[in-house]
Amino acid sequence: MKIAFIGLGIMGRPMALNLVKGGHAITVWARRAESMRTLLEAGAQGAASPAEASRGNELVISMVADAPDVAEVMRGVAQGAAPGLVAVDMSTIAPAAARQIGIDLAAAGVDFIDAPVSGGEVGAIAGTLSIMAGGSDTGFAKALPAFECMGKNIVHVGASGAGQVAKAANQIVTGMGVLAVAEAFAFAAKNGVDRSKVREALLGGFAYSKILENHGQRMLDRNFKPGFKSWMHEKDLNIVMQTAHELGLCLPGSAATAQMFNAMVGSGMGEEDSIAVLKLLEKLSGQE
Amino acid sequence: MKVGFIGLGTMGRPMALHLQRAGHELFVWARRPESVAGLPASVAVTAAELGRCCEVVFTVINSSADVEAVALGKDGLGEGMVPGSVLVDCSTIAPDVARHISARLSEKGIDMVDAPVSGGAQGAIDATLAIMAGGDGAVLERVRPLLECLGQRIVHVGPGGAGQVAKACNQMIMVAAIEAAAEAMRLAAASGVDCGKVKQALAGGSAASRVLDVMGARMVSRDFAAGIEARLHHKDFGLVLEAARKVGVSMPLTATVAQQLNALMAQGWGRDDTASLLRVLELE
Repeated sequence: MKIAFIGLGIMGRPMALNLVKGGHAITVWARRAESMRTLLEAGAQGAASPAEASRGNELVISMVADAPDVAEVMRGVAQGAAPGLVAVDMSTIAPAAARQIGIDLAAAGVDFIDAPVSGGEVGAIAGTLSIMAGGSDTGFAKALPAFECMGKNIVHVGASGAGQVAKAANQIVTGMGVLAVAEAFAFAAKNGVDRSKVREALLGGFAYSKILENHGQRMLDRNFKPGFKSWMHEKDLNIVMQTAHELGLCLPGSAATAQMFNAMVGSGMGEEDSIAVLKLLEKLSGQE
Repeated sequence: MKVGFIGLGTMGRPMALHLQRAGHELFVWARRPESVAGLPASVAVTAAELGRCCEVVFTVINSSADVEAVALGKDGLGEGMVPGSVLVDCSTIAPDVARHISARLSEKGIDMVDAPVSGGAQGAIDATLAIMAGGDGAVLERVRPLLECLGQRIVHVGPGGAGQVAKACNQMIMVAAIEAAAEAMRLAAASGVDCGKVKQALAGGSAASRVLDVMGARMVSRDFAAGIEARLHHKDFGLVLEAARKVGVSMPLTATVAQQLNALMAQGWGRDDTASLLRVLELE
């Protein structure tokens, strides 16, 4: 399939490479020209703008930072679009913003699919991302071969915006999950108990989770390199809390967690992995 | 002085009338013409036209977006106000939006003071509002005689946006205190103790506060008709948490209270008094 890929950051670059490996004809565009180099060397075509990238392609995929970036990119895409184009955004943005972009693109004859991912840089490189999609059945079907090059667990969650709702739900669970593991470790340590033994004991029971296993181990190793940067988790939890505010939804746990991530960004830990929330807890309890 | 006024709701109307009674010539504009009916004022066709003929313009409007539209939008104040005139915004909006509007107006030589108020409808009627001002000190001195028609306590908090920061702090403390009062009332009732007696006992001690007096009384008498519509506090908490996020500080209590306000909204009590936080606790 002829696919354009826009946004070649930590996530976008390996995702686009997996599409090339999957045998698709890829055109790329990124704001900074040097971000395109790896893809051009792998055989992708370069474009001068989102409009040019979308011209003559059947599918356009974007992976950028935030809702205004997605909206801007998609305005360009609409200019270059041929009838029947499917545009897929895999960034994490607010469900309401995704729905609005879907409405705007529909007016230009473009079918929009929101398809945010979970699994981080590791999942992007390995092609094992979880992909949660929202939008039309036909649009999803058209994008599915591309999704299969980038991810493993691919779910069509529902109508436009439903993918972003699922992603926000994912960030609620992972955000609170990381904080829960960090609190359990702080609790064990303050009681003078070996945290690694606690982790080992818990792995066999109902408290088992990937977060306890993987992130827990990295907490024990005090390896706070990202992974998933805390400023990004803070941004995602802000989407959750904004949506809760608009809907009249009481989310006390998410609210408390979001405040911890605020504090991390404010105290200069934004570039560290979100598991560095452990350090903030230790500071608050005098465990440094 | 020729004074313009936009936003003639429960707060704005008595404030505008105080200015008129103090001898100022009043000009008004409203999106809905019926809201300016019966005022002793000249009615302008657009905000720009109002701005053109006034030395000072007051705004008391509900949302950041609306203030921005009135100040910077098409046919807005920015298109009419002359260099050297002053916009006094008494609305409660985000500090960074206040700074943005101020910067844009200053390109045209128009000065701005953010001057949100506290004291509610009663304070507006009695001219006893607390006014927290942000902006240039010399500009504030020019409009101080007008502000003195509206309230007794006028504090210059700092540069542009500082008034809104102070207002955010005010809202955090006040609504958290309402939640504390509600939780205390809930504990008393659930323990089989008379809420009214508890409130009476507390009034003499260290927990005494205006919130406990006023909102506590409403909780005891179960009078949830608005004083202050809870939806406005809900809106303010959105602003407060957004401001905290922008500077990267943790506000765990405010975040928790915001969730109780979300629950209140979900029950459809947004137009009732914020004392309804007690009813949220009773849902459990």
